[in-house]
Amino acid sequence: MENRLKEEAGKLLKEGKVDYIVGYGKGSVKFRTSPLITNKEEELENLVINPFIANNLSRYPIELKARVGIVVKGCDSRSLISLIQDKKVNREDVVILGVPCEGVVDIKKIEKHIGKDIDQIEEIKREGENLTIQANGSNQTLSFKDAIFDKCLGCEYPTPLEYDVLLGTEISPKPDMEKSLMRIKELENMDATDRWSYWREEFSKCIRCYGCKNVCPACFCERCFIDVNIPQWVNTYATWQDNLVFQLIRTLHVAGRCSDCGECERACPVGIPLRSLQRKMVEEVKDLFDYEAGVDKDALPVFTHYEDTDPEEFIK
Amino acid sequence: MGNKKIKKDQLNTLFNELSKDCSVLVPTRSKGYIGFDLWDENNGDFIGWYKNTTIPLKANFFPKVEDMFRFNKGEGGYEIKEILPEEESQIIFGVRPCDARALKIIGTLFADTYKDPYFLKRRENAILIGLGCNEPCDTCFCASMGASPGESQDVDLLCTDMGDELLFETVSKKGEDLLSNMRGLSDSSDGDSSKAKELREAANNKIQRKIDTSNLKEKMRANFENREYWENVSMKCMSCGICTYVCPTCHCFDIHDENNKKDGLRVRNWDSCKFPLFTRMPMENPRHEKWRRVRQRYHHKFEYYDMNFGVIACTGCGRCIRECPVNVDVTQIITGIQSL
Repeated sequence: MENRLKEEAGKLLKEGKVDYIVGYGKGSVKFRTSPLITNKEEELENLVINPFIANNLSRYPIELKARVGIVVKGCDSRSLISLIQDKKVNREDVVILGVPCEGVVDIKKIEKHIGKDIDQIEEIKREGENLTIQANGSNQTLSFKDAIFDKCLGCEYPTPLEYDVLLGTEISPKPDMEKSLMRIKELENMDATDRWSYWREEFSKCIRCYGCKNVCPACFCERCFIDVNIPQWVNTYATWQDNLVFQLIRTLHVAGRCSDCGECERACPVGIPLRSLQRKMVEEVKDLFDYEAGVDKDALPVFTHYEDTDPEEFIK
Repeated sequence: MGNKKIKKDQLNTLFNELSKDCSVLVPTRSKGYIGFDLWDENNGDFIGWYKNTTIPLKANFFPKVEDMFRFNKGEGGYEIKEILPEEESQIIFGVRPCDARALKIIGTLFADTYKDPYFLKRRENAILIGLGCNEPCDTCFCASMGASPGESQDVDLLCTDMGDELLFETVSKKGEDLLSNMRGLSDSSDGDSSKAKELREAANNKIQRKIDTSNLKEKMRANFENREYWENVSMKCMSCGICTYVCPTCHCFDIHDENNKKDGLRVRNWDSCKFPLFTRMPMENPRHEKWRRVRQRYHHKFEYYDMNFGVIACTGCGRCIRECPVNVDVTQIITGIQSL
């Protein structure tokens, strides 16, 4: 896949079909990749595709305001489609290089499973359904499924839904919803008082770095409500109440756009389980509106249009 | 006074003793990230897993939010009631040399022309017990920043992990007084000291990541207008504040007034030069484009702070590299400048 990508990306730049290639390059930290944004052919040599391509790159075309050749996994393709639906990205301005994806490795899960930290891990190798992890000189085997993000476990669209070039062969989805939604179910099963104290605790940790909103491809407002200070909707300083209100408003704002890419939770430096909130909202949107974000670029976005036949039982 | 040592399995007893007179903070991970928290019997086991905290030590002295004073409008004008930190003394155990150094670096600013009573009061009431690193992280580059993973002059006592035992060495007078009052420790030998020295050298040699700080100020100044360079390195930045908030030396803050009609509260909170709204309150953020904001962060650390206080405001803790969601790497940015 990697060679094919370099070839296709090279062609796009050479033929002047795009101004930039947005893909993944080798990270400067072990077992990580880093977004590679370039208009230079010689830099395409550094493009990689491996089980560590965690970032959702679909935000970049908004900012670049140029024609972009972009690498997307299944979940990322949904974010990009959603941006096309919302007219933040023109379909004609992007050449989508699709990566069929079996899941992205969550290094924190590996650390937990093998009881060693990232600095002790020397190598991670995929061998069929397993990963062989070499740490402190000795090998351990871990099932690939136990090492990928929760969101990947429940992935229903491993092959990008929209692409110009598919860099590998289609993958059929094998979602394990029970595992993927385990934490959300646990929260649903809590009684309301416990759940309230749970979130209160979690949001006490928030430092308001806005990592969650800034990595989110569905958070594309040119000026976020949090940056509006006249009037001030929410205090910018980190009290748990304000943190919670900020995140709840964000959750509502991205409802119908969130593709459960999980970037918010991955970015959070203090480990707030943000995906639980976002994924719950995905479920709500599906139940109430029979709508899934970013699966059809020609569909009208669920919350920006209405029809005469819309049910309105909730308006009393 | 000589150095002392303690068996690691006696640490909880020691913490228990110490916590009778003051609060003892140790690294904990129960909240889902690593930070300093009050010691109790269940969280004294950090030596096996602890590398460094996610949230830096600065947060204990310059918290993310703090109340500064209350104000009240009376007949004759405003009445102001300052809210100073409590006088309670605290021992912070397990401070890494990079973070102790960072605290000293920002301490210079907080004790400059304007003496910040909030930071200084907390600092005065705290005793830092350092814990040298035997196994630095892949992201550490403290050895390039005038420091060493196993050594510190910026703590009160310095511990070295010797395997079954911890060696305590006196660094300051405050530390010496504390050590002489600690019970359950035994005297250490010259052999222990030389073993600790070897461990430190070994740790120093393990640091892989390096930057060259020679003539850096000048080099940065010369490339301030190098828009192409800064646009390039900032392209992937998401403009969040993670790097600044996990940084042990980033110290920018904003202030807010919580107003009722007659009375109110002034609070101070962390702010970040990476945010478009930064400095909007007094006037305007002159750095509209992202590359200017990214440039500001590195210039502040590696040029302006050095100009103002004679020291670079980075200690090589590597948190920004580790926590950045898109892997922006300060060592690559500085190396890039040096090669221009």
